[in-house]
Amino acid sequence: MVRVVVAGGGWSGCAAALAAAKAGAQVLLLERTDMLLGTGLVGGIYRNNGRFTAAEEAAAMGGGDLFVAMDANAKHRGISFPGHNHASLYDVSAMEPLVRKVLTNYGITVRTQARVVDVLKYGRKIQALVVDNGEVVKGDVFVDATGTSGPMGNCLKYGNGCAMCILRCPSFGPRVSVTARSQVKEIMGLKADGSYGAMSGSCKLNKDSLSVEIRDKLEREGAVVLPMPEHLVRSACLGRKACSQYAIPEYAANVVLLDTGHAKLMTSFFPLEDLRTIPGLENARYEDPYAGGVGNSIRYLGIAPCGNNLKVDTVDNLFCGGEKAGIFVGHTEAIVTGLLTGHNAVRHCLDMPYLELPRTVASGDIIAFVHDQMATKDGLRLRYTFSGSVYFERMKAIGLYSTDRGEISDRVAKAGLADIYSQCLV
Amino acid sequence: MKPRLTVSCIDINSPYCPCLLADTNHCVFCSHLKGQPVCDCNWSGVCILYERRWQPKNGVWRGEQAPQRIEAESTVTRKELIAEQTYLLEFAVGDELAAELGKTGAFVFLRLPGDPHYFHFPVGVMKVAGNDIQVVVEAIGPKSSRLIDSGAGAVLVRGPYYNGVLGQPWIDNITCGTILLIAGGMGQPPALPIAARLLANGNKVVALLAPGKIGRVFIADDLRAMGATVHAVDSLRRTGNDLLAAWLTCADTRPDLVVSAGPDDQHYGVITAMQAAGVDIPMAATNNATLCCGEGICGSCERETNDDRRIRLCKVQTDFSQLVP
Repeated sequence: MVRVVVAGGGWSGCAAALAAAKAGAQVLLLERTDMLLGTGLVGGIYRNNGRFTAAEEAAAMGGGDLFVAMDANAKHRGISFPGHNHASLYDVSAMEPLVRKVLTNYGITVRTQARVVDVLKYGRKIQALVVDNGEVVKGDVFVDATGTSGPMGNCLKYGNGCAMCILRCPSFGPRVSVTARSQVKEIMGLKADGSYGAMSGSCKLNKDSLSVEIRDKLEREGAVVLPMPEHLVRSACLGRKACSQYAIPEYAANVVLLDTGHAKLMTSFFPLEDLRTIPGLENARYEDPYAGGVGNSIRYLGIAPCGNNLKVDTVDNLFCGGEKAGIFVGHTEAIVTGLLTGHNAVRHCLDMPYLELPRTVASGDIIAFVHDQMATKDGLRLRYTFSGSVYFERMKAIGLYSTDRGEISDRVAKAGLADIYSQCLV
Repeated sequence: MKPRLTVSCIDINSPYCPCLLADTNHCVFCSHLKGQPVCDCNWSGVCILYERRWQPKNGVWRGEQAPQRIEAESTVTRKELIAEQTYLLEFAVGDELAAELGKTGAFVFLRLPGDPHYFHFPVGVMKVAGNDIQVVVEAIGPKSSRLIDSGAGAVLVRGPYYNGVLGQPWIDNITCGTILLIAGGMGQPPALPIAARLLANGNKVVALLAPGKIGRVFIADDLRAMGATVHAVDSLRRTGNDLLAAWLTCADTRPDLVVSAGPDDQHYGVITAMQAAGVDIPMAATNNATLCCGEGICGSCERETNDDRRIRLCKVQTDFSQLVP
């Protein structure tokens, strides 16, 4: 029996656990807080721009379960907002139980409030993870999906302080990197000004605090674009954001709201007093207890050095996914890397060659491209996503962007990857 | 399963945190306040960086330093010879200090008014009754002898300090358990408040007492009055160890926590007995490091642990077994 232990229950950890279970392993997923999905609990946007291609690739590879769950829970489909087309928005308030059900249906053991705090390592191999109650969890292979954002000391030093975001570090304790605890030196992303980290790119307003007109439009159309009053246009703050796909002039000239259950405000933070000068937002308030007028979480502090097969360098049995595997933005990216890392974790135990996604599919190209870019100082200042900025430009330029399901599944089949994630290897 | 010792600096969550060490980037807990680029602490429920950012008590906005323990003058109201060279002293302190000295492992520094600072020495608190503090001093070194020999009765009391017991969280957090309390010689004074705390939390305390170097058992009556079961022996080495081995081996008498109050050799003996019995029970032990400043600054109490950390025992909590050479 292959025992896979996944540390971190965000989208990436969930995808890794799913892929490992599908490949036939016995999987234990350890999550620090009391809910899965991590920052995906406030996410919601998928299938926008190149993410459509990536989601369809994952489905063609046999790892589409999580996208099926999102589609089943989508509030809006095929909507457009500045810079983004054919986006779907899942309902953030209903997503987590659904994903938990998907995982348990695959026989995955999910343990919440089980924060990994240390690693027991012998030579180049991890023997076990230590949970914060002192419990030692043994496994054959491990996945680090602990993310790169927070905790509040980092958010204070590199951002505006703890905004009481969905990570809820003070209540559940900070994330601890399995990679760092394995004595592997991590890579840090940089802001445009060269300081460490990047600020998360969106915050969430309470929908009931918006004017009736805006609320109705939001629920009907999924997106509302309000012109930014002259006195509030501040394009200078865009460079600090994690989500470069929204760091475009349209987002400085407009207030963009999306209906993900919350009213997702597509900016890192927005002082409440300023926000309330915008017509329709006179009584706006952030979702409790989130201090969206002040700041947001800081991410990309602690990326694992890894190959394109997502095995962490210098540790034989540690794999990584999501932000841990590179400067990836968004949960589609987390799922794509999570699936690969979970699958390769099982291959490790069976002495099989690791899977590396070829550059003829977007999921393979983004991993290789990001790792190449991260070797350069300028590359560390950029963020990479299927949905915008440099990588979406690249997708379009090299012909990887497609919204044609048939074309995408042909491409996957041609690469020999059809249903690869749904084959039991054990 | 053996519980994990979470708190690594005893001053966290006290009015004295963040301390002078944070001001100089030598905090023993927060990685940022040690000059590291990112968070990497042994989380205990509070962010020291945040404490430093927000707490106005620090006076950071007024350009002041971290808060300091205050040294107050008091008068010795009782001085009683209880064993050879060993004296019980009683003196009164202010309300706030008295309340703080009720904590497990609390101690103060004493010196004579007019003596230089380097004459102060640490003494564990034995009893707190209202504002009256009882301590026991063995007059063997230059500092303690000087205090005991002076007839004036005035004393400078500096406190509160908290790290008198390694494994203090275990003592504070255990409820309804059985605790074996081993106290020898000068380990007796700190054993008394430890027993009081344990009994207050509904635990059963079995005490094994020995006279040690000072040659007298003087807390047996107090312990019995509190409700502990007391076994006094002539020598831990000769007779106590056999009793200990028997208790540890038998499942009915095996404790949930072992507290060793006494010299380091006694702690080592207890660990050896546990190893011989094949049990791994949490152990708290009195802190016998040579404390000079008490603030983590001077380095006199620094010890190397088995996992190659250098820790200053005036502030840092650790499992005593980490200090076995």
